[in-house]
Amino acid sequence: MTTETIIERTGDKPAKISFGRLWDTWGVTAILILLLLCTPAIAPGFLEVENLQSVLRESAYVGIVAVGMTFAIASGAFDLSVGGQLALTSVVSLMAFSGGGTAAAIAAAIVTGLLCGLVNAGLITRLRVPPFVATLGSLFVFRGIAYLLTQDGPKTLPYSQIHSPFVKLGSLNIAGLPLPFIIMVAVFAGGWILLRRTAIGRRTLAYGSSPSAARFCGISDTRIRLFVFGLVGLTVGIAALTYITRVWTADGSAQDGFELKVIAAVVLGGTALKGGKGTLVGTFSAVFLVSVLNEVLVSRGVESAYQRIVLGCVLIVALTIDGLRTRFAGPGSFRRAITGLIPRKTTQATS
Amino acid sequence: MGSGAHLQGRSALLEVDDLTVEFPGIRALDSVHFDILAGEVHALVGENGAGKSTLLKVLGGVHRPSSGEVRLSGEAYHPRRPADALAAGIAVIYQEFNLYPDLTVAENVFSGREPYAKGSRGIRYAEINRRTSELFAVLGVTIDPTATVGSLTVSEQQLVEICKALSVDGRIIVMDEPTAALSADEVTQLLDVVKRLRAEGRSVIYVSHRLDEVFALADRVTVLRDGKHIRTCDIADTDPDGLVRLMVGRDVESVFHRDQVSEGTVVLELTDVNAGRRLKDISLTVRAGEVVGIGGIAGAGQPELSQVIFGALGVDSGTMTLNGEPFRPRHPGDAMARGIGFLHEDRKVAGNLPDLSIRHNLTISILDKVRTGIGRFLAPAKETDVYDGYHRRLNIKATGPDQLIGQLSGGNQQKVLLGRALAPGGRLLLLNEPTRGVDIGAKAEIHRLINILTADGAAVLMVSSDLPELLGVSDRVYVMAGGEIVGHLTGADRTEENVVACATTGRRIFSKELSKR
Ligand SMILES: Nc1ncnc2c1ncn2[C@@H]1O[C@H](COP(=O)(O)OP(=O)(O)OP(=O)(O)O)[C@@H](O)[C@H]1O
Ligand SMILES: [Mg+2]
Repeated sequence: MTTETIIERTGDKPAKISFGRLWDTWGVTAILILLLLCTPAIAPGFLEVENLQSVLRESAYVGIVAVGMTFAIASGAFDLSVGGQLALTSVVSLMAFSGGGTAAAIAAAIVTGLLCGLVNAGLITRLRVPPFVATLGSLFVFRGIAYLLTQDGPKTLPYSQIHSPFVKLGSLNIAGLPLPFIIMVAVFAGGWILLRRTAIGRRTLAYGSSPSAARFCGISDTRIRLFVFGLVGLTVGIAALTYITRVWTADGSAQDGFELKVIAAVVLGGTALKGGKGTLVGTFSAVFLVSVLNEVLVSRGVESAYQRIVLGCVLIVALTIDGLRTRFAGPGSFRRAITGLIPRKTTQATS
Repeated sequence: MGSGAHLQGRSALLEVDDLTVEFPGIRALDSVHFDILAGEVHALVGENGAGKSTLLKVLGGVHRPSSGEVRLSGEAYHPRRPADALAAGIAVIYQEFNLYPDLTVAENVFSGREPYAKGSRGIRYAEINRRTSELFAVLGVTIDPTATVGSLTVSEQQLVEICKALSVDGRIIVMDEPTAALSADEVTQLLDVVKRLRAEGRSVIYVSHRLDEVFALADRVTVLRDGKHIRTCDIADTDPDGLVRLMVGRDVESVFHRDQVSEGTVVLELTDVNAGRRLKDISLTVRAGEVVGIGGIAGAGQPELSQVIFGALGVDSGTMTLNGEPFRPRHPGDAMARGIGFLHEDRKVAGNLPDLSIRHNLTISILDKVRTGIGRFLAPAKETDVYDGYHRRLNIKATGPDQLIGQLSGGNQQKVLLGRALAPGGRLLLLNEPTRGVDIGAKAEIHRLINILTADGAAVLMVSSDLPELLGVSDRVYVMAGGEIVGHLTGADRTEENVVACATTGRRIFSKELSKR
């Protein structure tokens, strides 16, 4: 036999892209675009510039932290403590501002965020507590500390500071785009490069995919945990800056339920809970999907109680899809996931 | 053994007609015809990626065909999920294990079919433990039914899978490379079991890359190539060379060539190393340019030995040196930084990164080498070059660099993982079962690659349960039993008899060279 036939035999056929894989990355984006196309009909005031600006601004803090959370979930872990971190970081940053001005406030936010992340990583790697439990505990601890610091009233930005550059962080528009939104886009861009184009990002995905196999590739779990939880802390620090310069005040109860909004966005975006995959494009779209949905509900005059219910339902749908996709992984998974939704008679175990 | 004459006139139990299975970008089976007679052992052979496992998964209700027809005893058989296959009396031992690591052996064997005590929801543990022990007795092995599966060796897990299939009492037992992870004595036992199944009138579909097993067992053999049915014939009408030619489409040199090595410097030296209860007083040396084999029955401590050297398992006492310097890695990363490459024997648990593409699986250990520009960012083009190299060299059958590793056939996954282990260009390679599940052509290519690497001065420590490979590729062989080194065979002492004697009978054989150490 000649080598020619062999080459021909093993020659690659171009990989067809399966619908499931496309859906993973672009599914939410498609839904978001659909929703936006529908808004003129269901929420007439929505597309006004002022309103859009406000949606972009409000999305920023969830969005920025969702970048860190995408890494955490891609590595196979949750960080449930981001709400506590945000409250604590905001309070500390406001205190630093009254003491040392803009630079101090920014430094305090970043350092506090990073420290929170280090605490989480330490609990997980040194004390061997599972991430879920460790961050559930630290959620309460961080919030508790924030409450302690604000026992005699919430920390605020004094009104006299209305012209300080710090306040601009939350309120400035550049070319019509709110600065928090621009910061968020920058964080997403940085996150994308980190995840797709650096060794540590690749190792995070490898670790999330199979911790035991990653270990035999020389990947240290301590380093991954430090990186991931440090990154979450860093994003919380940045988010806290856009948050306090927007609302001017913070105490222990700031942004209650924040962690769930962030996790909802990441999961909805298509990052699988079992780790190994992460899509920042999906996360980005999901952040806006959630806030656009919210905004539409508000403009239709739906009560805030119902808004929560809707967010809850969206989260459940996202998790269901995630679960089905994991269970029916492989070719045709999408079709099987959908048909799998229809329960079949299960065979009774022999009794 | 293996004449088809007695099968004459029997009717087909299972018939497969015009079966086609498509995955995105590839037709894994293309109008395949196939049939099984009652009471025959039917071997299914072909290169990695030929479609063997895919065919078995269709029979087992895992994949649904794109088109085609399957009949069981003349009636249409279209299983929609694995339970349907079991109900029809078809038990499948898949190539990749499906075991729950946290459950016990017995719970795994009877999972989904547990007998319950009357009037309660409690599983009758005494019963499943007893029945599991009985099945192991048939296989001639002793595994504790109450041990958790996660604590077992790969070969023990394979035996649990076999036991699971035997517990079903099926009409057709389907075995996908059941011996890839077994040691020689376990293989012999399994072959006996298969013969017994046939004597009981059951049919067996047997997939293996080891042709000696095929010729020892099968009544008929079917060859697949690139998803197409090439030929079905009585085993008596063919011979190993002919079969290989049908599988590969050309002749394959399957004897081992080992170029003579010149004495290199000592790369690795272990002196009286103890680790946990698994390794006792291990002393060995590996020189540059050498292939040193580690043999013995499964569970004798071979993988642990390589893991100790790689820093994945801690050392309790003893000394290790690497290139003459003290060496005590605390983590695989340390060992890799010192130029050690590693291949784990358990592809599923400690090899595949299932969510990553083939390309990313290949480059995960050499991310430093695939970066570019001032930002030192990962460069997809460089990663693709790495993929192209191994793809060509090891003949990896894939639809492209971005295909997920889990979508490859078992043997092709193995090639990717071997590529990953070799990619950093380590000077000491710890290879556990390097050719597990790999077809004949690729196996010869891997052996050739090992030859080239050692000629270039690399040192190889190879664990293999495949005796011909162990003896054919290694320059020296250490034999382990019970965590100790009980034999060191060089030159003419490297024989199957000596390895087996050391591994199983407690004899100790140390060739001259070592004693004058
Ligand atoms: N889930 C899947 N998704 C996409 N392609 C697949 C999938 N499973 C198998 N394939 C492709 O189908 C082809 C046949 O694979 P199969 O596993 O049947 O090979 P095989 O003959 O069992 O090989 P081996 O000897 O290596 O086990 C391969 O090219 C493989 O890449
Ligand atoms: Mg296979």
